[in-house]
Amino acid sequence: MRGLLGAVLGLPLAMMLCGLLAAALPVNWRDWLVLLMLLSLLVWAVLIVLAGMARTPWRAGIGLVAANGVAWLLLQTTSLYGGA
Amino acid sequence: MRAETLKRHIDLHAWVGILTGLALFVAFFAGALNMFHHELHHWQEPAATETAAPDANMQALLDTVVANNPNAGNWMFLIPGDDPSAIWQETVDGESVWHTEHASDFNDAGEKVAPAGGSGLSEFVNELHFELAIPKVGLYFMGVVSVLYGAALIGGLVIHWSRLKKEFFALKHQGNLRRYWKNLHNLVGVISYPFHVIFAWTGAAMGCLAIVTLVMGGLVFGPQFQPAFTEASEAWPTPEASGNPAAMAGVDDYLAGARQAMPELDVGWIELQQYGDENAVVDVGGSVHGKVAHYSHVVMRGDNAELLTVSGPGQRSFNHFLMAPVYSLHFGDYGGLFVRLMYFALALLGCLLFFSGNIMWCERRTDRQGPSRSAAFMLRLTLGVTFGVMAGLAMAFIVSKPMLYSPWQAWTAPAEKIAFLVTLLIALAAAFRAAPLTTAGLWPKVCAGLYLLAPLVQGALEGFHTWLEPDFLLVNGSLLAVAASLILVDRLRRRRLRRAAPHPLWVGAAHPVTAANPVDPDPA
Repeated sequence: MRGLLGAVLGLPLAMMLCGLLAAALPVNWRDWLVLLMLLSLLVWAVLIVLAGMARTPWRAGIGLVAANGVAWLLLQTTSLYGGA
Repeated sequence: MRAETLKRHIDLHAWVGILTGLALFVAFFAGALNMFHHELHHWQEPAATETAAPDANMQALLDTVVANNPNAGNWMFLIPGDDPSAIWQETVDGESVWHTEHASDFNDAGEKVAPAGGSGLSEFVNELHFELAIPKVGLYFMGVVSVLYGAALIGGLVIHWSRLKKEFFALKHQGNLRRYWKNLHNLVGVISYPFHVIFAWTGAAMGCLAIVTLVMGGLVFGPQFQPAFTEASEAWPTPEASGNPAAMAGVDDYLAGARQAMPELDVGWIELQQYGDENAVVDVGGSVHGKVAHYSHVVMRGDNAELLTVSGPGQRSFNHFLMAPVYSLHFGDYGGLFVRLMYFALALLGCLLFFSGNIMWCERRTDRQGPSRSAAFMLRLTLGVTFGVMAGLAMAFIVSKPMLYSPWQAWTAPAEKIAFLVTLLIALAAAFRAAPLTTAGLWPKVCAGLYLLAPLVQGALEGFHTWLEPDFLLVNGSLLAVAASLILVDRLRRRRLRRAAPHPLWVGAAHPVTAANPVDPDPA
């Protein structure tokens, strides 16, 4: 169950975390997009492992939902979405 | 590491393994045979190559295919060789349909002479490898399976890191049977770990491409993502048709242009887009040997073969530099025959890894929780699917040749798939009917026999002299190697049974642990 939660909720979180990394680095994300996508797969797998380490499934679920929310809010402070 | 944390890692590793193990077994077993995909193309229909017109060339094939199918030039791949082929896409009711035609399918007048149908063995093995032969959703499913497989590998590294050295020497015919499976699983896992990381990562990259593109585009980058991804991943943007017809330069000019731009390129294919239109683009692709990221492209205009761009070792963007090895590392085609043979062996070892992992999960669950229906079901399912897939593929090979030389030649490809499916269902039914110990005793012999039989059937129908041809040698050799591996595994199984009683789960009923079959104190 925890692994499943990690697989489902870890996917958007992994993509958003990689987006935040792209926003933080002073390099145009287009220039290293393939690395970013490969990295996002690794982060997704790590998130599945981390979710699997939670003591209970609901802890994993709440943690992932909260992390997704925070990552989404942080992404809104960047100019990534639709930006030039 | 705290015992509680280690236990959670082991639990996660086991659960992810049991969720993905069977799908990975199928992908790895088909992948092992798929290492000889091009050779299998020749093996499955040697007559097509032999009857190829002596003056068959790619330009004639291209002209014929485009004349017969005016839209074929919208997106087509030309594959050079003894019998050049054209693979082109057609949109039917909004769905993309791919067609393949060979030079030998046509006479000098461009009339189709080859009967419809023929063997589809290499395509079927490939489909089984990357999408479990499930159209549309199979690829995405395998992409997610690859990510879970990556998670299992991360867990496996955490579990085994501190005792890697010890586990190299841990495989002994001592103690209980489960310990043996566990040591075998750990040994194979440790030895082939770097390759499994490669397979998982590159497999996930290919399988999850659409999912990642969708989520990353939708959540992070917005509408600007797709054009950026196209630029990052393609040698040249896909051209739009202008609607203005134009005379094309021709295949010889494209090849000459590619030779001039990249003399070391070994041409593997020519990709044509909007051929016949003034916006036509031609990508001459292939390999620069001696490089891991060997895939290279020379892109030019279709009408006058004017060079547009070159992408190859030492002359490509950072994105292309990273994209190229994703494919070559997965396909194992960067280091010649030795690397392909190594990938073949590693894929078979991977099958053993997933098989032993599933068995360990079943036995461990029974030991921990007592008689368990789910463990008994999973053990039988594991035996049924693994032996069913192996026997099914062997039957597809065996059925292929007699069908090809029968009046029902057109039905060869469907017959291969039916033979696979029927054998798989028989194996599944047998696994759920007989005791697992009986299944494990009988089916390795059946499978080994079938893999010995397949090259014999081919030799009997096409002549045993064909065995000496390099392509036949590799394909038949790989079938015989599978048979030898199964005989070895069966021998190891019998040797173990002589020295230790089987786990109660194997005799048809799951009993509580007894003194004769103690719980392994070390579950890793």
